Amino acid sequence: MTSETPPLFGKTRFLQGLIDEFIDQINEGTIYLEMGIKAYLSAGAATPACEEKLRQIVDTKERCAELRRRILTLLYTEMLIPDARGDVLKLLGELFALLDEMGSKYEDLIIEHPGGILGEFREDFEDLNAIALKCVRTVITAARTFFRDPPSVRDHINEVRIFESETDMVALRLKKRIYGSDLSFERKTQLRDATNMLDKLADRSESLGDDLAIFAIKRAL
Amino acid sequence: MSLIVTLIFISSGLFLGWSMGANDASNAFGTAVATRMIRFSTAAFLCSVFLIIGAVTSGAGAADGLGRLGTINTLPGAFTAALAAAATVGWMSKLGLPASTGQAVVGSIIGWNLFSGSATDLNTLSRILSTWIVSPILGGIFAMVLHSCLVWWIRLTKPHLLVLDRNTRTGLILAGIFGSYAMGANGIGNVMGFFVGASPFRDLTFGRFSISSVEQLFLIGAIAIAIGVYTYSRRVMMTVGDSLLTLTPLGALVVVVSHSLVLFIFSSTALEAFLASHGLPTIPLLPVSGSQAVIGSVVGIGLLQGIKGIRQIRWNVLVGIASGWITTPLLAAVMGFVLLFVVQNVFGQQVYQAEVNPPMPAALERPNMAAQPISEVFPLRGEIGAVGATGSNGSGGPTNSHGEKQADSGEA
Repeated sequence: MTSETPPLFGKTRFLQGLIDEFIDQINEGTIYLEMGIKAYLSAGAATPACEEKLRQIVDTKERCAELRRRILTLLYTEMLIPDARGDVLKLLGELFALLDEMGSKYEDLIIEHPGGILGEFREDFEDLNAIALKCVRTVITAARTFFRDPPSVRDHINEVRIFESETDMVALRLKKRIYGSDLSFERKTQLRDATNMLDKLADRSESLGDDLAIFAIKRAL
Repeated sequence: MSLIVTLIFISSGLFLGWSMGANDASNAFGTAVATRMIRFSTAAFLCSVFLIIGAVTSGAGAADGLGRLGTINTLPGAFTAALAAAATVGWMSKLGLPASTGQAVVGSIIGWNLFSGSATDLNTLSRILSTWIVSPILGGIFAMVLHSCLVWWIRLTKPHLLVLDRNTRTGLILAGIFGSYAMGANGIGNVMGFFVGASPFRDLTFGRFSISSVEQLFLIGAIAIAIGVYTYSRRVMMTVGDSLLTLTPLGALVVVVSHSLVLFIFSSTALEAFLASHGLPTIPLLPVSGSQAVIGSVVGIGLLQGIKGIRQIRWNVLVGIASGWITTPLLAAVMGFVLLFVVQNVFGQQVYQAEVNPPMPAALERPNMAAQPISEVFPLRGEIGAVGATGSNGSGGPTNSHGEKQADSGEA
């Protein structure tokens, strides 16, 4: 019997380990994305280091997809947490979708902007990257908290909302600067899309946070 | 009395067993199944196995009261009373309403008393009626206290969702097994207590092991209860665990445990002795209904959540269940009266024997009416007690010879 096979006894601990690993992987994907974007912004081009981070994100996605399938199968075959099963699966699905979006957007970024982002906007993009990914990481923490301490989820969700609105403000400011510059319309559109990419991650995190708040209310004793 | 006739009479006890299984299994596993914590097939299996074990290993003791007590004093009368109770509980099960088997038995005995002109001890009856009110109220109070304590504990320890799920599931299974065992041990008297004296079986001995005729009779009765659990209990389980109020798994556990607590506190002679030995006021031992304790517990959990919980309770379902508590004994009494008339005048059976009808209070001091053997709540003497004296039970008492005559006259 390998460690991948559910044991005859101790399925709860085994499944708990799978869920923890799944959330760890999502968090890991967020770190890779942040490092990848930083590398991209500092190099001003899609370097091999950026490609390496993309490959790591893709690997993480594959592992998460496998973990999610196994968690889903175990939850249903063992009839575990019948009252919260649907919510847990939806939560894991949304977390996976977030990671998937991070990977695909990052891929789009380094494909569509092979020459890098112009230096004059670099600092703004770094701010945007930091705050958007902070929003993502906070919602991941909230998801982890949901399994142990549902009442505390609310506090994290509040932080997510604050970070999301900060992300919106930075993105708006950046877009105004982009469209106020002398760049060509085509270039402006490209930079706007890059801004939207990071902004959408924060939006998606907020949406996940809203769902999570409802799941936590349903679990409230 | 021929074996065939005896078996025909016993059939109403088996029907009562089936009805009881269909209805009372919800007390032990209803909330667990309705909250999907335990599969119905698993619950039915565990319930059946442990109620059979309870009936065969501990049920014989429940029949000891037969010889001491006595109201229905002919086998055809017992058959008819059991049939009326069974039909009533079966009908309630068909409606998906949790009825108390004990209530139905009370009703059918009162029907017999009315038909035979026997006196009904109004003092005892009023005490029984009072337990039908006290039982759900106490269930509700226990559920509220227990739920609050558990929530406090969970908030303090913050267990993982999966760990909480595992612990709740384990608790539900253990409580369900215990409830099933108790249902078999105490409830079998309700089902087959009428017929202990008329058991057509002989004591069997296999080397060092022996199975008495009563144990064999109880095994048959327990199997009838188990068939009721498997074939018809699901609907009542869903009513108890889901239709009245959507319970969480934690709520399901609280309901089962508080129901057991109600039964324990009002049935434990050990607790009474403990309180008395320490100079504390004792809790009166009263026959309380398990079904009513369960419903009271469910409502208690709803009320604990305040206005939100009150809104969530489906009051129309509750009114249906509560009205069932009134209609069950009434229906059983009316049905018992009518059936006795039919059995006596159409089939020519002697359904009662005109003799002194001893009062019942001593029997009714025994607690846990839902799980109380009918023989102890409503005594049976005469013919059955007489035949019982020849069996392993041997508690037929003073009506032995009398009963034998009655059996003959019944056949005639």
